[in-house]
Amino acid sequence: MYGWTGKLLRVNLTENTTNTENIPKEVLEDYIGGRGLGTKIIYDEIKSKVDPLSPENKLVFAVGPLTKTKVPTSGRMSLSTKSPLTGTIFDSNAGGFWGAVLKGAGYDVVVIEGQSETPVRLVIDEENSKIKDASKLWGKGIKFIDKNLNEEEEGSYQNLMIGPAGENQVKFASISVNGKRSLGRGGVGAVMGAKKLKAISVSGNKKVEIADKEQFDFVNYELKKWIKANPLTSEAMPKFGTSMLVNLVNEAGALPTRNFTETQFEMAENISGEMLTDKILQKNSGCYNCPIRCERRTKTKNEEGHGPEYETVGLMGSNLGVGDIEAVAEFNYLCNDLGLDTITTGGTLSCFMEMAEKGIVEYDISFGEADKIKNLIEKIALREGIGEELARGPREFAHSYDAGEFAMEVKGLVLPAYDPRGLKGRGLGYITSNRGACHLRGNMLGPELLGVPKMIDRFQPKGKSGLLINQQNFVAIIDSLVLCQFLTFAVGEEFIARVLSAVTGVEKTQQDLLDMGERIWNIERIFNLNAGFRREDDRLPQRFLKETGSGPASNQVFEQEVMLDEYYRSRGWNNQGVPTEEKLKDLGLEGIDIDV
Amino acid sequence: MYDQIKQVGRDLFLQNAVSSHGGNISVRSGDRVLITRRGSMIHNLKDSDIIETGLFKNDSGVVLASTELKVHREIYLQTTALAIVHAHPVNAVALSLEQDEIIPVDSEGSYLLHKVPVVSAEHTVGSKEVMKEVPEYLKNYKIVMLRGHGSFAVGQMLEEAYQWTSSLETSAEIINTVKSSNIELKEYRKSSDKYSEW
Repeated sequence: MYGWTGKLLRVNLTENTTNTENIPKEVLEDYIGGRGLGTKIIYDEIKSKVDPLSPENKLVFAVGPLTKTKVPTSGRMSLSTKSPLTGTIFDSNAGGFWGAVLKGAGYDVVVIEGQSETPVRLVIDEENSKIKDASKLWGKGIKFIDKNLNEEEEGSYQNLMIGPAGENQVKFASISVNGKRSLGRGGVGAVMGAKKLKAISVSGNKKVEIADKEQFDFVNYELKKWIKANPLTSEAMPKFGTSMLVNLVNEAGALPTRNFTETQFEMAENISGEMLTDKILQKNSGCYNCPIRCERRTKTKNEEGHGPEYETVGLMGSNLGVGDIEAVAEFNYLCNDLGLDTITTGGTLSCFMEMAEKGIVEYDISFGEADKIKNLIEKIALREGIGEELARGPREFAHSYDAGEFAMEVKGLVLPAYDPRGLKGRGLGYITSNRGACHLRGNMLGPELLGVPKMIDRFQPKGKSGLLINQQNFVAIIDSLVLCQFLTFAVGEEFIARVLSAVTGVEKTQQDLLDMGERIWNIERIFNLNAGFRREDDRLPQRFLKETGSGPASNQVFEQEVMLDEYYRSRGWNNQGVPTEEKLKDLGLEGIDIDV
Repeated sequence: MYDQIKQVGRDLFLQNAVSSHGGNISVRSGDRVLITRRGSMIHNLKDSDIIETGLFKNDSGVVLASTELKVHREIYLQTTALAIVHAHPVNAVALSLEQDEIIPVDSEGSYLLHKVPVVSAEHTVGSKEVMKEVPEYLKNYKIVMLRGHGSFAVGQMLEEAYQWTSSLETSAEIINTVKSSNIELKEYRKSSDKYSEW
């Protein structure tokens, strides 16, 4: 088979078994890989209302047909499940090398089901797959486990691991990729922890077969030309990493500050990409076959590690009132070692700090008190003291005090580091995303701030639905392939369609890709509808509708309903956000059950 | 949006990509389409020259809409384009009378377009042939030439569709200049022989 391996590894932790299955070619051609395949498997195999932390939930790790080829950024992998934080279908993807090595071991997909009674780890290579005891690793942090696993296994392995936060089923626990990258946001680490699965190590170096090598080399060459020509991918990202955005977003009046009560931070310069580069950067590095090399290896006075990325700087810097890049880097190191998602940790703490300042919860802490934050991060991961309450995420925490208005989330997922009052299309993306407020579900930052592909008026609420929908559908394909979204700063759908056709030998136009992306998006939506989500869940916190931002956004609020109406119409959904029969027929989904 | 349509109309005329009453421009917003009026002066559009009508259904707007409305609708239905520019760029039209595909030889044209297919139709204005052929190519290309008639370019934004049109015309002018001057080309692009396979 060209591009794909056509193999799925199914691991049942209740029965302690592993089995290899063939994936039908038509399923691969229709759903591609990564998020697309993950969505199909989750939709087909688990009930929408299943408890995410029960044995019935599954973890679906998947790569795509371009994985481990010469296509830039093709080492990523994707994970799909039902999120304990949001209750939605959820996928998360990460860079590094794990995805490429899994493909090298001979698999497109690994499905983890059931639940072990004792801590275990999984080892996959070209020859076989084994479930091993992991009792000695239980309770240990990421750095320790990564080192220990590498000493224990002979040969070269790439590791996925959970830290104490995952073991304790913190609802925003992440999964670490070799201690450098994370599968974050929706609590995928808690699902792995509930299954008592501590780590997955992979090794393998099988080659990917290419259908039309000559055409592949030609298209890939043209694609690389654009990466080199684009200043974002060739200059800004390698030099400053994702934090290059801090000053830009701050000037635009869209940098979340003190739990989104303001949208400009007076100390933004101190946590900017420029400051990070000057003060703590050791070197930049990259994922498998990536020329962009945005990864930051950093060192503070006390510690060293990776990151922080822009989102972490926004949510754990300005949003906590902390204007010190070393402090933010150390929060990041700690979260990475404990296995916590930094965006959600930041959004949970900012909610807590505002409630504490307003006297809603009794705790001695104010914005900017960096020394108290580390202690709170540890308490969350270990579920100690107030950490037990905060480990449930900001929505549940704030609602338990009848103060839901202080949780800055959509469907339970914390808003990333772009305030929607200064970027209206971004805000529409947050409320319509199938996994909650997310910056990776249609990148409206491109047209609204970076001029990619062209600049549009970021404050205008109307007329953005079509553009956002195309982006959402396209991103569903990028996530299915599984490529890095930074690649799309340089090239669009036409390159992706051509390179995919050359690798697999299955002719796909750019329109075919967008149609498949639309189908994936609608299946996710239907899963969520069946899980009980409705139009009322597609909403931002009241703060964004009633309180204005700062700086250029000082007279701006978010015009929610008018944007949502337009979006639903453009999607071919009814005014409650339910796909119409006509739309389902167009997508080849006629007869699919929608429980509304 | 009205201002942008007017500006693109003016710029197309200034680049010699349309005659005074030639070409048309549209933008999709959900299930509605804004399109220039039939017979309007594209370089001097007024608000009343920009007509709103349905994407799927006819309404009174079709009385005034461009003759090419059917082609625009079909492109929107078959692709995810959100904007279309139809122009009659002089150099590109001239090349389309001779070639089955236009392959830019200049650097910018090569980067942006690689190759522009040329399709033929007996009836070139608002016909079923055009409705069938043009959207099919636009599933895979940003811009396509209808032989002897003009270009159809698509984009997520109007500015993009305008850029492809402008870029094609510039590239076509360079090709025509090279040809008329009998200059022997010195190739500087790796893989240039593969552009016809794009």
